[in-house]
Amino acid sequence: MPVLNDKQKLLRRLQQSCFALAEANLYLDSHPTCQMGLEYFRKHKAEKDAIEKEYTEKYGHLTAVQSEGTKKWEWVQHPFPWERGEN
Amino acid sequence: MWQYEKKLQYPVNIKEPNPALAKVIVSQLGGPDGELGASLRYLNQRYAAPCREVQAMLTDIGTEELAHMEMISAIIYQLTRGLSMKEIKESGFDTYFVDHTTGVYPIAASGVPFTADYFQSKGDPVTDLNEDLAAEQKARTTYDNILRLTDDPDVREPIKFLREREIVHYQRFGESLRLVTDMLDSKNFYAFNPSFDKK
Repeated sequence: MPVLNDKQKLLRRLQQSCFALAEANLYLDSHPTCQMGLEYFRKHKAEKDAIEKEYTEKYGHLTAVQSEGTKKWEWVQHPFPWERGEN
Repeated sequence: MWQYEKKLQYPVNIKEPNPALAKVIVSQLGGPDGELGASLRYLNQRYAAPCREVQAMLTDIGTEELAHMEMISAIIYQLTRGLSMKEIKESGFDTYFVDHTTGVYPIAASGVPFTADYFQSKGDPVTDLNEDLAAEQKARTTYDNILRLTDDPDVREPIKFLREREIVHYQRFGESLRLVTDMLDSKNFYAFNPSFDKK
């Protein structure tokens, strides 16, 4: 397994919880009244929100519209994810 | 509308450049069964979907395909960093290089540029969803073939993830087709086009 930096370790947790949500999303599209699916989605949504908050506070926003800099536009201060080691 | 998130759906971190492999994998960007065609197929077809479940499915899978296009692009980008002219000539990457340098451009491995000929939007949900099922299997076979062509784990891991997604999407499109046929006359699904004919 590759050695991960702290940003990547937190990002892996975020990617994992986003993946759980994406899977549940597609499943619920075709099973919109499945109670177990809805419960699974709610649980992972809360987890994702918490990890995303920690990640964006430490490593920058995920969307341009979240930028709130007064001196410099934050969106251009952090790397894009196609660079090796930045995703 | 859409909003970009500055993260990949699944990590892509490739240590060893490999331009010959990039020239093959580019087919999953702009080739006949690639992610660009997949995304455009579903995002165009969704307007003819006769129920919200299938409208949602085509929207959400079409959106996920955009994230897959970004992963494939990241693989091509990282496989073509820091190349010498000698490496470019000897790997056979020179035929791509002459037109695109190391820019990411949607073509098939054969060099044919991306074209909308790779997909249909037929305006009939039974027809469209049958195409979508086939499309997911064709993409899965392409990923199987890519896995036969490389033993670099840095490349194989994201390709294996993408391959698995084709299988999940196939499952979801199967459910979508079932939802549509359940709305139709079970004695003859083809009695009318639910997105065109007045019932």
